[in-house]
Amino acid sequence: MPPALPVRSGPITRRSFNATLAAAALLPRPTAAASIAPVVITSDEDVTTLDPHLIRNNHPIGSLIWSLFDSLVRRRPDGTHEPRLATGWSQVSPTVWHFTLRPGVTFHDGERLDAAGVVFNFNRMNQAPWNGECQLWQQSGLVACAALDPLTVALTTAAPSSTLLYWLEEAFIGPTAYLRDTAPELVGSHPIGSGPYLFVSWQRGSQVTLRANPAYWGGAPPIRDVVFRAVPELSARLDELKGGSIDLLTGLDPDSAALAVSPVSGVRQVRGLRKMHVGIAQHGIAPLRDRLVRQALNHAVDVQLMVDTLQRGTTTRLLSVINPPNNDPALQPFAYDPQQARALLHQSGHAGFAVELAFDGRYADAQETCEAVGSFLEAVGLHPVLKAYESGHFAETLRARGFPGLYFYGFAAQIEPLVELVVFTGSAIDNASGYDNPAVDAVMRQAADVTDADARAALVRQAEGMIWNDAPWIYLWYLPALYGSSHRLEYTPRPDDYVEIYRARLAA
Amino acid sequence: MSDTTLPSLKPSPRRATSPLRSRALRARVSHALAVLFGVSLLTFLVAHATGDPVTLLLPANAPEATRIALAHHLGLDQPLPVQYGLFLLHALQGDFGRSFLYGQPVAPLVLQTLPATLELAAAAFCIALLVGLPLGVLSASRGGVASAALQLLSMLGLAMPAFWLGLMLVLVFAVQLHLLPVDSSGGVSHLVLPALTLSLLSLARISRLVRSGMQEILDRDFIRTARARGLPEWRVVWVHGLRNVLVPVVTMAGMELGDLLSSAVVVEVVFAWPGIGRLSVEALGARDFPLLQGTVFIAGLGFVLINLLADILCARIDPRIASGATSSGSIAP
Repeated sequence: MPPALPVRSGPITRRSFNATLAAAALLPRPTAAASIAPVVITSDEDVTTLDPHLIRNNHPIGSLIWSLFDSLVRRRPDGTHEPRLATGWSQVSPTVWHFTLRPGVTFHDGERLDAAGVVFNFNRMNQAPWNGECQLWQQSGLVACAALDPLTVALTTAAPSSTLLYWLEEAFIGPTAYLRDTAPELVGSHPIGSGPYLFVSWQRGSQVTLRANPAYWGGAPPIRDVVFRAVPELSARLDELKGGSIDLLTGLDPDSAALAVSPVSGVRQVRGLRKMHVGIAQHGIAPLRDRLVRQALNHAVDVQLMVDTLQRGTTTRLLSVINPPNNDPALQPFAYDPQQARALLHQSGHAGFAVELAFDGRYADAQETCEAVGSFLEAVGLHPVLKAYESGHFAETLRARGFPGLYFYGFAAQIEPLVELVVFTGSAIDNASGYDNPAVDAVMRQAADVTDADARAALVRQAEGMIWNDAPWIYLWYLPALYGSSHRLEYTPRPDDYVEIYRARLAA
Repeated sequence: MSDTTLPSLKPSPRRATSPLRSRALRARVSHALAVLFGVSLLTFLVAHATGDPVTLLLPANAPEATRIALAHHLGLDQPLPVQYGLFLLHALQGDFGRSFLYGQPVAPLVLQTLPATLELAAAAFCIALLVGLPLGVLSASRGGVASAALQLLSMLGLAMPAFWLGLMLVLVFAVQLHLLPVDSSGGVSHLVLPALTLSLLSLARISRLVRSGMQEILDRDFIRTARARGLPEWRVVWVHGLRNVLVPVVTMAGMELGDLLSSAVVVEVVFAWPGIGRLSVEALGARDFPLLQGTVFIAGLGFVLINLLADILCARIDPRIASGATSSGSIAP
């Protein structure tokens, strides 16, 4: 066992911080791996902060925080909950949960994990600016947290919460003394967690370097040295992958996938989770408020053809508004049927109207997708007008429910039915389409209050079917999750963009 | 015979015009300050015209209370003139505020990335000057191969977009031939491709300017006279000729250096070079006003300083610029 790092008392200064880093550097290291080049993971975005409570994106910031820190519960790739800093939990009453902490866990600076520290972290997440990114309190309905004993934390929610575990999975725990006594910018640039990797260095605008934590409670991860590097240009990332200087390339799109194949690299694919759709705004032009019109739009578009051509068959069409495996297998996709579409439009009395089709540059193929959708709509007698938005303007319009017609968008990558469906409730802030069905809202409220899992699942399924048939979106496909990978890296990517490099290993 | 061919007979004008020069310098400095003020105001206004950064900083489902709290935390809830006044007041003390994205003070952030950009721009500038100048002179005085090479290079340099050229260079020299590293983190070998990409446009412009200037100068009387005095041809071309085309070249080089700083944006993105250009692109995308204002202001400061330096340098090469004289003619070697 490596020697424990000294536990500090008193405020942490830059000097004492550097002393800790120096001490960490003296920890014994496995020497067998010394000659192996670090595993390099790229991203198109830069790392802006490594504050555990300011995770702005799943990758690269989320991937780094997941490597450096631990949360009480970790989200597995299939959406189930893995005990991490908590070894177990129980719902002692509909609104009170008890979490038992893992004993003997130490942070990278030597501080011991205890319940009071967890409470301190949760309270930090509830203040600006951290509460902007860390949504534990607002989204789960958490109202109080307390340390019952050194290894038990009690969480109280305002109403029975079925999404508490989901939001806890994004609530990471840092050492109390360091978070409390250090300037926020230093916390953001020199992260100290308890995760499987230790922070080594951050060259801003370039790369973050990590090293395996030999003292990790779950054992040191198989790969010792890891570098996260920002390379904004996809072509440059592809060049690097083929040149052998990177191991994992994120942000690959179907058009470029073939370019990632070389003697040293290939493509890895998992089923994506982000639900790509054309949102049908219900606060704009009148025809779109008619369910028949929205169903007609879904019948008018040949989604399968677009999946086969535009997406090059790298994905499948949406099966539901809830991601697999929780979706209702009985739901049927809207069949491509222009006749039916025309008939429904005729029946609704809204044939031949003009409609705006908005998109921005966030998704690689937004314009092509909208052009194709537009031409399908034209074929059933509508008059779509394509409109390109700057990304910031698009986000603002989306938030303000300002789109008068249709908009191309992808909804968050999640596997948690109740979190996924929130966006379809009338009062949800991010309900961009403005879809509002009081019957759905009532069922959703009931589902949130029920503690019995089976009863809740039945209610969720009921809401799911109602939303699906109300057609608030033109359902398209799951955003393909494609990764370029060097042959030496053995790793199964997650569908939600997080890179869990501690689960990877190098080929023999 | 023109009197300008015998400048050694004339008294040096330098000492006599020094008060004028300092006055000219003062005018240039106050001009520079006005430019910087304009830059700060324009950046502020344009940045704020793009919209509300809070929307981009927060997740889509953030409640209104969180938005208001963040806007207050960032100082965005104050009226625009107050925000600008505070920005100016703090900027004068070297404090450009705190980046929304990074949560860190802007000035150190920019100063951390500035060396990378300066390294890249300086390397590109050296290539442009060391290759462009001789190429221009050679092609004007010799013609033939040098002239053809210049034509080709300048056509490529002017016509090819930097991002495409950069990617092609990487594909050929790094991925196919393995002569240079693909990535841009490390020693001098990592600098070659980005610097080469960045330099080509400047190289083309400088060599064309030198070429046309030299072609004009080499027909002049004083060159003929220099040849008549029996001076060796290299001295006629490289000393008497070149010095007389240097003034526009130095002025141009000053602007080129500024241009290189701004063109570096594209090259930095292509080569993942951690410089000020990439930082400003990121700031723009995220509506990180303090960071954007900081990067643009510091880049503007650099641009203004370089131009000031070029002006001073021109005055040293051609004293008539300092003295305000307007007579045409040549400068003595």
